[in-house]
Amino acid sequence: MAKYICTLCKYVYDEDVGIPEKGIAPGTKWSDLPDDWVCPLCGSRKKDFELMGEQASVPTSVKDEKPEPRVVNTGSELDGTVKVPAGYGDDDLRALSYAEAAVLCSNLSKGCEKQYLMEESAAFKKISDYYMSKAGTVEGTFDDLMALIEENLSTNDEALRIGKKSGDRGAYRVTLWNNSVSKILASLLQRFSDEGNAMLENTNIYVCDICGFIYVGDEPPAICPICKVPSVKLLKVRRD
Amino acid sequence: MRAIRNSAICLKDCLCLYICPTGATDTETGQIDANKCTGCGMCARACPAHAITIVPKVYPVQQPKTKKVVEPLYVLAKSWAKGELIADSLSRSENPVERQFAVALRESFRRQGEDLFREAGYMLPQSKNVREMLMNMIMNEMDPNFPKDAALKLLQLLQEQDR
Repeated sequence: MAKYICTLCKYVYDEDVGIPEKGIAPGTKWSDLPDDWVCPLCGSRKKDFELMGEQASVPTSVKDEKPEPRVVNTGSELDGTVKVPAGYGDDDLRALSYAEAAVLCSNLSKGCEKQYLMEESAAFKKISDYYMSKAGTVEGTFDDLMALIEENLSTNDEALRIGKKSGDRGAYRVTLWNNSVSKILASLLQRFSDEGNAMLENTNIYVCDICGFIYVGDEPPAICPICKVPSVKLLKVRRD
Repeated sequence: MRAIRNSAICLKDCLCLYICPTGATDTETGQIDANKCTGCGMCARACPAHAITIVPKVYPVQQPKTKKVVEPLYVLAKSWAKGELIADSLSRSENPVERQFAVALRESFRRQGEDLFREAGYMLPQSKNVREMLMNMIMNEMDPNFPKDAALKLLQLLQEQDR
């Protein structure tokens, strides 16, 4: 019988073994698992699994035979107003929206926190909060978020190819984590669309403070299935 | 070099207090006094809980990034920033479960965006990019609510560590 591996967290579903504690008897074929079945470890969907032994467990988008990536369109939905260095070391400037500037500064606040520079961390936080207060409101639905994530996944495919080819491990790493987390968020949004409040009503929801992985369940997993940080960094989001 | 203590790991074995030649480890804040610390590293070697780390006062310059590599990262970060604003609107829904889910998504988008900026040339707060960013903000932000004091303070505090 066959084994299927989750391409996001590497969980293996073995048809011989099933998952008896979840009511899936040994011998249950992959094709007999319901369509809305999700990975017990990370919540990914069946389509994020692949048959083991058929191909290496790298995402299908990272194959080397892909053509040279097209130039990425950097056109903005939200106006860029905050000019910052472009990030690659020459004099080019990049215009960020207020919301992006807020995220950039909260990243730097965290960078200072990691070095125990608390005064500096608080100062970046203050600037970040200022930009967030200017960011305004964007109305939308959960379906809009699903569309945004699907769109991100196609950008992400290109970023993975570029990152891998360039040998920039950091860029490749962040794109890979974004890719996995995006697929899990898509899985959760699909479930929320199907199940509504029932998805969360009698359980908990956690967000990984490192990579943004979201877990729905009573207790968080021992480590984040995407970035592998211990569960102390999986923060519970309460219902107010 | 200077010593920093991770208070989440510190088990209050307190060997660092006995060992520190300048008394830098004995403070009321749980932190090591950077002004007294000479960076000798004795406390880090003695700590049974491995809660003390030695970090440089001057960090090396960041790994170079290419335009080709960072461009898609900024596209993704832009998209997450938009997602965060949509999720923020949804976090004011009348349905408490929707609010809860929206907050989780908002936080996820923020974490991913931060991580992208980090890898797109903004990892080290003491870098040339960050200094130029702060100077641009100070020059261009005309809104009186812009916390200019915080930006000026950062330029001053992070100055010594910049190469």
